[in-house]
Amino acid sequence: MSVALEVCRLAEEQVGAEALPRVTGMGLEVGNRSGVVADNLAFCLDTLLTHPPFRAARTVIRRTDDSALRLEWLELDDPELENANTP
Amino acid sequence: MPVRTIEVKKNILERNDRLAEEVRGRLQDAGVTAFNLISSPGSGKTTLLERTLQELDEDIPIAVITGDPRTLNDAERLARWTNRVVPAVVAGEGGCHLDAAQIAAALDAIDLDEVRLVFIENVGNLVCPAEFDLGEEAKIVVFSVTEGEDKPLKYPLAFREARYAILNKIDLLPYLDFDLPLAIANVRSVNPELNVFMTAAKTGDGLEPWFRFLRERSSALVA
Repeated sequence: MSVALEVCRLAEEQVGAEALPRVTGMGLEVGNRSGVVADNLAFCLDTLLTHPPFRAARTVIRRTDDSALRLEWLELDDPELENANTP
Repeated sequence: MPVRTIEVKKNILERNDRLAEEVRGRLQDAGVTAFNLISSPGSGKTTLLERTLQELDEDIPIAVITGDPRTLNDAERLARWTNRVVPAVVAGEGGCHLDAAQIAAALDAIDLDEVRLVFIENVGNLVCPAEFDLGEEAKIVVFSVTEGEDKPLKYPLAFREARYAILNKIDLLPYLDFDLPLAIANVRSVNPELNVFMTAAKTGDGLEPWFRFLRERSSALVA
């Protein structure tokens, strides 16, 4: 859970607290020598990401054969893109 | 709604690791060594520290940072033996580990010129505390004979990350089915390099090698 909380803190650092409800996905890399069990981390993140300030963001975990423990990407709803696409 | 993808590529524990290096630097500059005690609840960390303070604190000034999600019970027990106890704040009942930011804050309350050793009594939990570098010189994993021989196999990261292990409550061995050779074999299978102390903090049996180790560590720092 502590690692999952740190992921959420990193997400807030990246997009700002006000944008967290718009986060729709997180991509992580979890190595099998990282000391973190990917399934456990996914379970904790699923719990956190279905509660405010999040709104059911999905997690995508890529397992690697090293000690990586990284937040790779964030995906968020972007109303500005929608406005830009509106004729 | 259209979505935008932001590339992050950040080590999840980057902030903690950076702060841990700062803590390590502060301790090294002050000639202080810090040990991070990790264990499951009830392994005897606090009793071990009480005994250690009783035996060594006059010769080797020791500070202790305690971490508990609730109560100051451990801090109050240790405060009977030293006035250098700093309870680290662990976030509420869900707090499961100490992090480097908490240790940095706790060190602000300790006069490092007056101590040689700092013990961090981590939250009773063999999972999360193993993942966090606190700037310590070494992690010491404490387990007891009432917990079963398979603790090292169940919690390999804690035993892999530690440089020393303490098998406590050996005074209870005559009353238990604990298989001591198997427990040591399990430790070695996870971490062949681990130095194991066998102690009974309650009775004092087996503590002399532990005290000798701490005396040697503090002398090495002075030299």
